[in-house]
Amino acid sequence: MANLKILAIDDSPTMRRIIINTLKRAGYEDIVEAGDGKEAIAKLKVEDVNFVITDWNMPEMDGLTFVNTIRAMDEYKNLPILMVTTRSVKEDIVEALKAGVNNYIVKPFTPETLKQKIVETISK
Amino acid sequence: MKIDDIMYSKMQSEIAALASSINEIVGKFKKLQHPLTESREKVPKATEQLDKISEQTAQATHQMLDTVEGITQREEQVKQRLNTLKEKITSGNLDGAEELIDSLIKTAEQTYEDVYTIMDTLQFQDITSQQINHAASLLEEVELRLHKIISVYNGQDSSMTEECTDSEKAKRVYDPHADFSDKKATQADIDNLFARKAES
Repeated sequence: MANLKILAIDDSPTMRRIIINTLKRAGYEDIVEAGDGKEAIAKLKVEDVNFVITDWNMPEMDGLTFVNTIRAMDEYKNLPILMVTTRSVKEDIVEALKAGVNNYIVKPFTPETLKQKIVETISK
Repeated sequence: MKIDDIMYSKMQSEIAALASSINEIVGKFKKLQHPLTESREKVPKATEQLDKISEQTAQATHQMLDTVEGITQREEQVKQRLNTLKEKITSGNLDGAEELIDSLIKTAEQTYEDVYTIMDTLQFQDITSQQINHAASLLEEVELRLHKIISVYNGQDSSMTEECTDSEKAKRVYDPHADFSDKKATQADIDNLFARKAES
């Protein structure tokens, strides 16, 4: 838990604050944030991130494009990704799965679910 | 040329002009039919989205108010217990003081939990902002159709109107199904999909 550096990506500053607060409460203190996929890729290049939480619907670069983009880069092929989004239609979930998302939560989420999915993802 | 022939020829050209005008009007009506039908469908959808926003905002606000009311009520008890504790310390009679401190710790923990519950409920802001973007996008579509209708009547190129609106629309990002309580797939469904993928 202590050595996990999490990148939280969401275009909504409110959601970023909620996610960061929930993570801190669960014991994850090392967190960086980004407002969209493009900014997230820039952060990945300079920060030693080893876990990603990303939204789907974002301007500039959405979450799915972000996942497809980084999965095509050798250095991020195995980076654990948890998608946290409002998208709950089965076809969307399958698309995220195909893109290389490791776990998926639909908003609104409970702190317990977020915590559980992080633990599940890193232990896979 | 006889007068009848002249009259006949004039009438013939007038009827031809009239037929051409009718043809043009019919063409315009055909062009209008599609945008009108689309607009008729989009307005109720936007209204439905706005109703949903109002309902879900109220639901989230009530949840938060319930929690805040709980905290406020407990704070009254905290004040009373602290006063009792103060009296006990002042009088030097510490009987029951430990129980009082334990109950105060319990209350503080409960308040801490409640504050996080409020924070979790605030996720509605992200969901309703997507619903608002969806409703706004539907209304923009209607606006575009109306502009198209005006363009057709004025004999202007309607594709220009579409290009302008498309550049505005690109800024809006939303999930058309975003909902505070109605999830299309449960967490168990999602977990099953991921488990099946892991097995294969």
